[in-house]
Amino acid sequence: MDFAFSPDQQLLKNSARAFLDEHMTPAAVRLLWDDPRGESEATWKEMAQLGWLGLSLPEAYGGSALGMVESAILLEEMGRAACPGPYFPTVLAARAIEEAGSDAQKKRWLSPIATGDARATIAFLDADLDWRPDAIQTRAETTAGGWALSGRKQFVPWAHVASVLLVPAKTPDGLTLFLVDPGAAGLTLEPAQMMDPATRLASVTLEGTPVTGAAVLGKPGQAGPLLKALLSRGAVGAAAEMLGAARRCLDMAVGYAKVREQFGQPIGSFQAIRHKCAEMLLEVENSHAAVYYAAWALDAKAEDHDLAASVAKAYVGDAARRVCGEAIQVHGGIGFTWEYDLHLYVKRAKALEAMYGDADYHRELIVRRVAA
Amino acid sequence: MDLTYSPEDRAFREKTRRWLDVNVPKDDAKTLDERKAWHRRLYEAGYVGMLWPKAYGGWEATPMQQAIVQDEMARAGAPPAINGLGIGFIGPTIIVHGTDWQKQRYLKTMLTAEEIWCQLYSEPNAGSDLASLTTRADDQGDHFRVNGQKIWTSSGPIADWGLLLARTDSKAPKHKGISCFLLNMRQPGVEVRPLKQITGSSLFSEVFMTDARAETRDLVGSLNQGWAIAQTTLGYERGANSLGRVTRYAIAFSQLVRATKELRRGGRPLLEDPVVRAKLGKIYAELEVQRYAALRVLSSLQKGESPGPASSITKLSYTEFEKRYFELALEILGPWGQLIAARDEFEEVDTSSGEPGTWATAFLWSRAGTIYSGSSEIQKNIIGERVLGLPKEVRADRLKA
Repeated sequence: MDFAFSPDQQLLKNSARAFLDEHMTPAAVRLLWDDPRGESEATWKEMAQLGWLGLSLPEAYGGSALGMVESAILLEEMGRAACPGPYFPTVLAARAIEEAGSDAQKKRWLSPIATGDARATIAFLDADLDWRPDAIQTRAETTAGGWALSGRKQFVPWAHVASVLLVPAKTPDGLTLFLVDPGAAGLTLEPAQMMDPATRLASVTLEGTPVTGAAVLGKPGQAGPLLKALLSRGAVGAAAEMLGAARRCLDMAVGYAKVREQFGQPIGSFQAIRHKCAEMLLEVENSHAAVYYAAWALDAKAEDHDLAASVAKAYVGDAARRVCGEAIQVHGGIGFTWEYDLHLYVKRAKALEAMYGDADYHRELIVRRVAA
Repeated sequence: MDLTYSPEDRAFREKTRRWLDVNVPKDDAKTLDERKAWHRRLYEAGYVGMLWPKAYGGWEATPMQQAIVQDEMARAGAPPAINGLGIGFIGPTIIVHGTDWQKQRYLKTMLTAEEIWCQLYSEPNAGSDLASLTTRADDQGDHFRVNGQKIWTSSGPIADWGLLLARTDSKAPKHKGISCFLLNMRQPGVEVRPLKQITGSSLFSEVFMTDARAETRDLVGSLNQGWAIAQTTLGYERGANSLGRVTRYAIAFSQLVRATKELRRGGRPLLEDPVVRAKLGKIYAELEVQRYAALRVLSSLQKGESPGPASSITKLSYTEFEKRYFELALEILGPWGQLIAARDEFEEVDTSSGEPGTWATAFLWSRAGTIYSGSSEIQKNIIGERVLGLPKEVRADRLKA
């Protein structure tokens, strides 16, 4: 048993830290906040060259076939940098294509994703705002040429830059996943302005949007279990990013408490501040254990991997909210200013708290598993 | 990163489980003699003193094996070994700081529980500020004369010996005038009075020392070095209970789930109430995180790494969790959760405290963990200063010193 990173994993972490420290400074993140696309093509290409985009893809498609632990390491570092961009939606969608796609679909999408030439995203949430696949109301009806999709998807991550959307819809066979061209007829994208300017979400309205039979990903009617597995993976990935953002907030709060003086001494010498920082560290360390246990469980196909994913999302979601909030409190007024960088990370964590099922959602999943 | 147990650890777990299947006393060991006999069987099987050096009667097992034994004992509902404070803390102190004579005289009988040990540290006016203790040990040439009062002494009435901190130089700054002794508890000058806790039972005592005698040969380390000895973090039992503790939480959780299925409110089982479900989910998520964190600590101990002040995070984490756990459980269970005497087996619960009882017992006990062995506030000071490197606070006693 070894809970520590292997030398290779540590190397990946170090190189991710170094790359993001250089390319995703707070100033660089702020530039992207104001950018209409919200991401940097140059950085995206460099991430591809570093092997990040193909990190967990099979070698046949230019990937490195690494696991969720390695993904979590990268995502934690991205959270720590509040790095904007469609990285996680794209690798999650790639995972779906790898799991369920035909050879032709894999060829069409996985290699371009690994090289940084394609971006993808999954439209989980429907009009109903329920993360359970059963709640999806979007419908696909058969037409002469294939299918026509109708419905409304909400809060789809990075849909405005995606080369392909993965859209689950109800068919007579059951829930089915479709690969949809964002430029298809009858499809309207409506970007939403979110509290975190680095989190780009959009509504996708489908009004009889036509797709061919070849657009079905996996077997018709079989999308439910796949979506559940993707949600588990999404939960762990989001938890990893929240962990990174929370640790950044903790580091900033501790650093500030050491230098900010009031009443003639550093505020970190006051128990009111020091105890807050100790509690924040406790939650960050427990979050680390939760994220990497869950990531390992997914890779090892451990019996409790779905449970661990829900535990990680529920625990880290709550913990990151508290840690980031307390970081603002430790900073006082400066932490409330736009100019100071703390809110980059606070908002990053907050945005992810609501994605891939919030803490309440995952607590209910936990109870279903352990109190059946 | 690999969180699978090694084949050796799996085999060790199997072996331990089989041994416990055969050997756990059918009726709980209740009398002192029964508890000592059980302890002795555990010791002879290699399950007590597991990390002690072989030279002193220990087994030189691994931290993981020690944690596995505690885990399996929790699973089997086995009574704990009896001399926990001695073996976990006092023995290792003697091994590191004691004389050869002390090691020969005290260690073996401690391991076999022929002699029971207690710790004489806290005083009515020296709790978190332990170094302000006022119990005196005056040098009489061939022995020290001890006068003062200790409190919160576990195993007081059954203890044969105590590890005592007493002031030997009242003029020195408070941290520099304290010495450490091994005190015979079976002498006329030592009186033990059980202290009734909020649970109604008496697991702690007050100890009054009136012209009691501590032999010069029982001074541990040098004169006036007692504070440094008390501050030494000794790793022999670290992580020992980490898995067993979580297993007891999990056993209690399954009892809680059973209760939410059987108890009804508003015409349906409690388990169908969404508010109850949210609370259950919160408890279970935190319980699992405690397990993951325990694995992380154990994996680091296995590699011979010392957590140092970071062990304060572990202690703070599980004791604060226990409070939330049993608070939520009592919110879920309503008046039924406040039964302090079980009417049948269904109403008993694994309280995690070592004292059998009900949900109310567990709830009350959960208030102790964040106070003993360094309160949560002291742990947060340690984390703040020694882990996060925050500046020390300006303290009145430091200004004087």
